[in-house]
Amino acid sequence: MTVPLGGVLLAGAAVTALIIVLLAAVAAVHLLRGRRTSRDERRKRELMPLVHAVLDDDPDDGIPRSDVLGAPADLDEIVLDLLPQLRGSDRETLRLLLAERGVVSRAVADLSARKPWRRGRAVSLLGSAAGTHHVAAMAALLADRSLEVRCAAARALGKAGDPGAVAHLLHAVAGERALPTGVVGMALLDLGTTALPILRDALTGEHGASRALVAELLGVHGDPSAAPALEDLVRDAREDRGVRRTAAAALGRIGSPTSTEPLVSALTNSTDPRLQRTAAEALGRIGDPTATIPLLAGLADDDVAVRAACADALAALGAEGRASLEQVAAGAGAAAPDAQAALDELDGPVRRPQPAGVA
Amino acid sequence: MNELFTDIVLGASWTVLGYTLLLDTIMFCVVLLGARRVAEARHWKGAEGHAEIFASPLTPAVSLLIPAHDEEAGILDTLRAALGQRYPSLEVVLVDDGSTDRTFDLVAERYRLTEINPRRTASLPVRGEILSVHRATTGDPLLVIRKASVGQKSDALNAALNLARHPLVCMLDADSLLEEDALLRVARPFVEDPDNVIAAGGVIRAANGAVTDRGTVVEPRLSRNWLVRIQAVEYLRSFLLGRTGWADANALLIISGAFGLFRRDLVVEIGGLDHRSLGEDADLVVSMLAHQQRAGAPHRVVFVPEPVCWTEVPETLRVLGRQRRRWSHGLAQLLWKHRRMIGNPRFGAVGTMALPFFLVFELLGPVVEVFGLASVALAAGLGILDLGTAAVMLGLALAVGTLLSTTAIAVEVLTYRRYRRGRDLMALVLAAVVENVGYRQAHAWYRLRGLVAALARTNPVWTAMPRVGFSGDPAPAELVPARS
Repeated sequence: MTVPLGGVLLAGAAVTALIIVLLAAVAAVHLLRGRRTSRDERRKRELMPLVHAVLDDDPDDGIPRSDVLGAPADLDEIVLDLLPQLRGSDRETLRLLLAERGVVSRAVADLSARKPWRRGRAVSLLGSAAGTHHVAAMAALLADRSLEVRCAAARALGKAGDPGAVAHLLHAVAGERALPTGVVGMALLDLGTTALPILRDALTGEHGASRALVAELLGVHGDPSAAPALEDLVRDAREDRGVRRTAAAALGRIGSPTSTEPLVSALTNSTDPRLQRTAAEALGRIGDPTATIPLLAGLADDDVAVRAACADALAALGAEGRASLEQVAAGAGAAAPDAQAALDELDGPVRRPQPAGVA
Repeated sequence: MNELFTDIVLGASWTVLGYTLLLDTIMFCVVLLGARRVAEARHWKGAEGHAEIFASPLTPAVSLLIPAHDEEAGILDTLRAALGQRYPSLEVVLVDDGSTDRTFDLVAERYRLTEINPRRTASLPVRGEILSVHRATTGDPLLVIRKASVGQKSDALNAALNLARHPLVCMLDADSLLEEDALLRVARPFVEDPDNVIAAGGVIRAANGAVTDRGTVVEPRLSRNWLVRIQAVEYLRSFLLGRTGWADANALLIISGAFGLFRRDLVVEIGGLDHRSLGEDADLVVSMLAHQQRAGAPHRVVFVPEPVCWTEVPETLRVLGRQRRRWSHGLAQLLWKHRRMIGNPRFGAVGTMALPFFLVFELLGPVVEVFGLASVALAAGLGILDLGTAAVMLGLALAVGTLLSTTAIAVEVLTYRRYRRGRDLMALVLAAVVENVGYRQAHAWYRLRGLVAALARTNPVWTAMPRVGFSGDPAPAELVPARS
């Protein structure tokens, strides 16, 4: 058996050279890192007074505007870090500063850069720093070939705060280059209550994913005007199961007693245990005592999760629900353990976890 | 006859060398894929929006499930880290699986446990008897289940799943410390893409030697134990680059049971964790993928290389051998159970790439390595091996193996930078070389024994690793290194 020793030796030498290069890079980075960190900190200390001067707008500071505009690029990083923490006129002042220093125009130019990360960084920067001035250009990136860029564009549109972006964002949930619904959802939430009228209209939209998302968002906003349309979705047996579940959960968040009837109907008539469970949870949130009897009936459901949700919902109905639970718990029926567990929950509220490090 | 024998021995020798080179080359491609992904991710650093995810009402609540068997050495630290997660809504479900030490007593005392009636949310089969269920009265969202052990981690996890109430479940080993925002980072794919993501995993690193303080790794340090150092390199290579590469190819099979996040409804739908499986984590992922594929439902398994879970790794060859035998046994069970998926294009890259790779290189690898090495030794002993050629080939295999590890170390230094001391980096580099001589061969032997145990259908039993804890006597309140 012959082996091309020359080739093997050559490959070995190439691999060894690669190892040496990597090790040299590791050593160099390790040695230079400390120096670079202290240099960055020093620059930050030097540049912070400029930022304060801009924010104070005090001529007595004696810092000429030209110094601010001609400061090194590190100033832009400092300002971009500060922006999310500021509101009102301070935020606007820093936005103007970035525009004057050419940061915004460079970002606009970078929206069509070849590398995805440059497009992504550019659109993120515009979302933070450019307000509503470049919404159309940012929205165009919702159809970018890179998923990361599309996500960055959605987040940026949310931060920019222009309700005109709602339609673009909802449209981006479906199609060949669809965006993950969670990213769109967070962006739409960032837009605040100004998006509500468009969201209500979108409840009857074409795509199930989009309808489910909109239902969830309306629930998070607790929008009572959306309740009738959401109730219709829960009632509609031909509607997608996921949409019905999300609509039921949203009704629970909104908390309108008018929603009790469709939710009870979903709990008692549906064959989807997940919808039944969500409906029971929503009834518990609404707290309407007229749901007591159907919830008691739900304690006999075959699905253990439905039984648990009904017991919890009864516990949330107040005195009437608690009395019913106590009665069931005292009995010998199959639902007694669920009822007792729900009562235990009532008697021992659970608080949030403590921050790390707290003993 | 002699000639035939010589040909067989020589053929086996060259087969093992060729096989090792092929494996290293494939791994190098996977590592390159991973390195490319990591390098790209560096440009996006800071744009992930973790603060937004923490504040978002769309972020799903998580149940952290921790099975524990004789974990008194570190259980309080693990719970502190779990309960101290920066996450908007979570609960911790600890299962004391037949501990014979003070695991339960320590937790009961620290969190002032009170017995309650369990609120069941699922009816998964549990073989060990549930003895009692307790809740913390300190205000911490902690539920503790005491159950009789049947020697199966999956049984303990199924018991926890039956009481978990949140839409996502995170499985965590009882000897592990989560970094403060680990859960938030690993949950991000679920928040952003709730319709598709079914499982996500983060990075596991060796905690031995690290300086810890009440459940927090204050300063990652490398242990002085060379066995631990080699495993530290192994974990870096496997998690930072290997899994990133597999995930990039959409062929990720394993989300570590030490730290993995899953959609609870799906886990319940497939019947929970398979109590017969020793590799319950990988089996869970493959079963979920198969279930979604058959249902025509979307599915993505994501690896997030940033969030870190620190875990104790074996410090002795005996314990390491037991662990690796169990892993190999579990892999054999997994591949047998899902044999119809192997090479099946219906299951995408998992069927055509990942499962065949695991069969040929992970499961059967030790057979080739052990018998091949024996034949090399035999050939050398009989004087029929060209030692010069063999040395060159071995040198190349050694170099490629070292290159893989060096790449992982470089990515660690350039990107994640958990190990900051120069001496730790030096030790990692040395460990990357040393592991090729002795460790790799011992590892192959352990895996071969695991495979034999699987073929013999030995009854699998989950035995917990002996623990030393993260911060010990004499001053638990001080910053002390975990035993190294």
